[in-house]
Amino acid sequence: MSTSLPASLQHPMLWQGRRRHDRMPTLATGHERLDRLLPGGGWPLGALTELLVEHDGVGELSLVLPTLARISREGGWAVLVDPPWTPYPPAIHGHGMDLGRLLVVRTPDATASLWACEQALRGVRGGVVLSWLRGRRHEAGFAHLRRLQLAARSGRKGAFLFRPASAAAQATPAALRLHLEAREADLAVTVLKCRGTHRGQQLRLKHRVFPEPRPERTARPVRAASSERRQDEGALHAPATHSTKPLRS
Amino acid sequence: MKIHWLALQLPHLALDLQTRNGAVPRSLPLAIGDGDARRPRLLDVNPAAERLGICPGMSSSAAQGLAGSLRVIDRDPRREVAALERLAAWSYQYSSAVSIDAAHHGLLLESGGSERLLGDSEALAQQLTAELQPLGYHARAGTGPTPEAARLAARRGLNFADLDALQQALEMLPLDALTFTAEQRDGLERMGFRHVREVLRLPRKALARRLGTDAVDYLDRLLGVRPDPQCHWRPPESFHSGMDLPAEVASSQALLFPLRRLLVELCGVLRGCDRGVQSLTFHFTLRRGTETLTLGLQQPTRDEAHLLQLLKERLEQLRLPQPARHVALEAGAFMGFDATATGLFVDPGDPDSNPLDPLLERLRARLGNQAVTGLKGVEDHRPEYSWSERRLEEPAECRSMPHRPVWLFPRPKRCRIENYRVLAGPERIESGWWDGDDCRRDYFVVRDRTGSTLWAYREYKPRPGWYLHGLFG
Repeated sequence: MSTSLPASLQHPMLWQGRRRHDRMPTLATGHERLDRLLPGGGWPLGALTELLVEHDGVGELSLVLPTLARISREGGWAVLVDPPWTPYPPAIHGHGMDLGRLLVVRTPDATASLWACEQALRGVRGGVVLSWLRGRRHEAGFAHLRRLQLAARSGRKGAFLFRPASAAAQATPAALRLHLEAREADLAVTVLKCRGTHRGQQLRLKHRVFPEPRPERTARPVRAASSERRQDEGALHAPATHSTKPLRS
Repeated sequence: MKIHWLALQLPHLALDLQTRNGAVPRSLPLAIGDGDARRPRLLDVNPAAERLGICPGMSSSAAQGLAGSLRVIDRDPRREVAALERLAAWSYQYSSAVSIDAAHHGLLLESGGSERLLGDSEALAQQLTAELQPLGYHARAGTGPTPEAARLAARRGLNFADLDALQQALEMLPLDALTFTAEQRDGLERMGFRHVREVLRLPRKALARRLGTDAVDYLDRLLGVRPDPQCHWRPPESFHSGMDLPAEVASSQALLFPLRRLLVELCGVLRGCDRGVQSLTFHFTLRRGTETLTLGLQQPTRDEAHLLQLLKERLEQLRLPQPARHVALEAGAFMGFDATATGLFVDPGDPDSNPLDPLLERLRARLGNQAVTGLKGVEDHRPEYSWSERRLEEPAECRSMPHRPVWLFPRPKRCRIENYRVLAGPERIESGWWDGDDCRRDYFVVRDRTGSTLWAYREYKPRPGWYLHGLFG
């Protein structure tokens, strides 16, 4: 044998598990430690990502917001299918999101929700689709998810599906499945399934959802409600400038 | 430019109009009656009737005697003219000079001018007949240097390249190739004429004396000696076409097939006059009552596949209260069509090319216009008033407030603050005295027992108490 080991590893017929997934196209998550954990260094592109949340609002949207913000600034579209509440524009704009590239789709039932999600995944090239499957979303079957997975592949998109943690018992065609849970001020991320790496890895991310409100003017005592009232009446012609009063108790 | 004519004839037009919707199975004998009240005669029969020995010209009663299952439908000249109008509009995509030739159940196109663009007239004639086939019309076409020559060519399945070829061909043709009246033909036959060439050799004066000036005039027009001006058809600025359904259709999905034909026709018309449509209306005549379906588009189009895709989505949603009997398509305003909008080399990375449009249309077609929106900020300190839905044409302006929660509840929920741990706050929001929705609140960031971080406020007025307003999700 004259060839060295590194040289023979270059042989095209040789399949290397790790390497294959390193070349998988990804979207940087914006969280450095999460990027290091995920094969390819980010959210899989052109494949489904399932985020299973213990409770709605543990920080799942903030987890993907950096990616959304970056994509929107690069001109890609972010489509939200059936979000559970209203994405609050000043806040998501504050996280760097270009609102001109955000689309909210509302559907009447579970079938339409799946359909809209699939259309959005196939529709536009690039971009991200976030879907909260409407109705009894833990019941979305494997076949449905498989459809979405194929749609994500054909549209070469980032596809995020938010589902309750109880869906963890179901098999999934998704490339990545993470479990999200709030732990005090942190967000605990557990890998339940991931192409190209093993499951069970855990990570705690700093929950940076509410930086202390920046006081716009000097702090006032809370008790001063009555005096403020008078001030308001005095400032009839410019109510907006006086209407918000950041306070500290 | 060489002037050349293409005649398109639909000898079975009345029959085609009955059968093109697939209403009558091919195996069912069907005949078209002339509508004569006293002695009805058959004008045309379908192959199934022909096999039973029924032929055009027979009286209706004789035909009924031969086959009891024969269905006789009287012709409707108005419908035929309407059909020719639509076909004229459709064929306008191939020639700028189209005339309706009602006497010959057909159209006359000037094809010489289109030769550089569309190729040889003869090939065009074949193409036209082939394209009419899927639309349910049995057509025959022929070309010639004069309108009359083209008509003759269509009748006999010929093509005359120029006047010399016409002269040569006429040498061989029998007398009945010419469209003389029965009287004129009888006269000529009594004189012993059998071929066209014999008539052409006659001195014109003598011929005029014996057959009348009409006959001579016809021959002159045929040979291009006398000009033969045609009345050109002008394209309309709207489209309306309907179709009786073969049987009552209860499922809206089954409507797709007949509607597709109407769409193909419409798109042909649009291509013909270089226009596009932005809104279409389908009318369904039901057993009782009517139903309409309107399709709106992001930008004018004339792409069949695109329209069909949208229609499919809408039909999936449509629930007909009763079975439909008749469908019609109406397209009101034709609009300028910007062909560059469907350019071949649209760069996907180009910010000007908006690849969202087809997706938007599909989503809106099925879910309704309100289902797809954007978001924008509004200058107001009260959180519930500081945002609104945005039509996608509007600019997305917004203040940046990263310390606010990313989710806002559509309606604040009352809560018991004892169950929450306060993390930050308060932030006073007091505003809205001018629009009657005055409020004074202190906002706090709180955390519940499951670890979710929420945005709660204490309201002093108008409804004192603690509320949850958002979620730092």
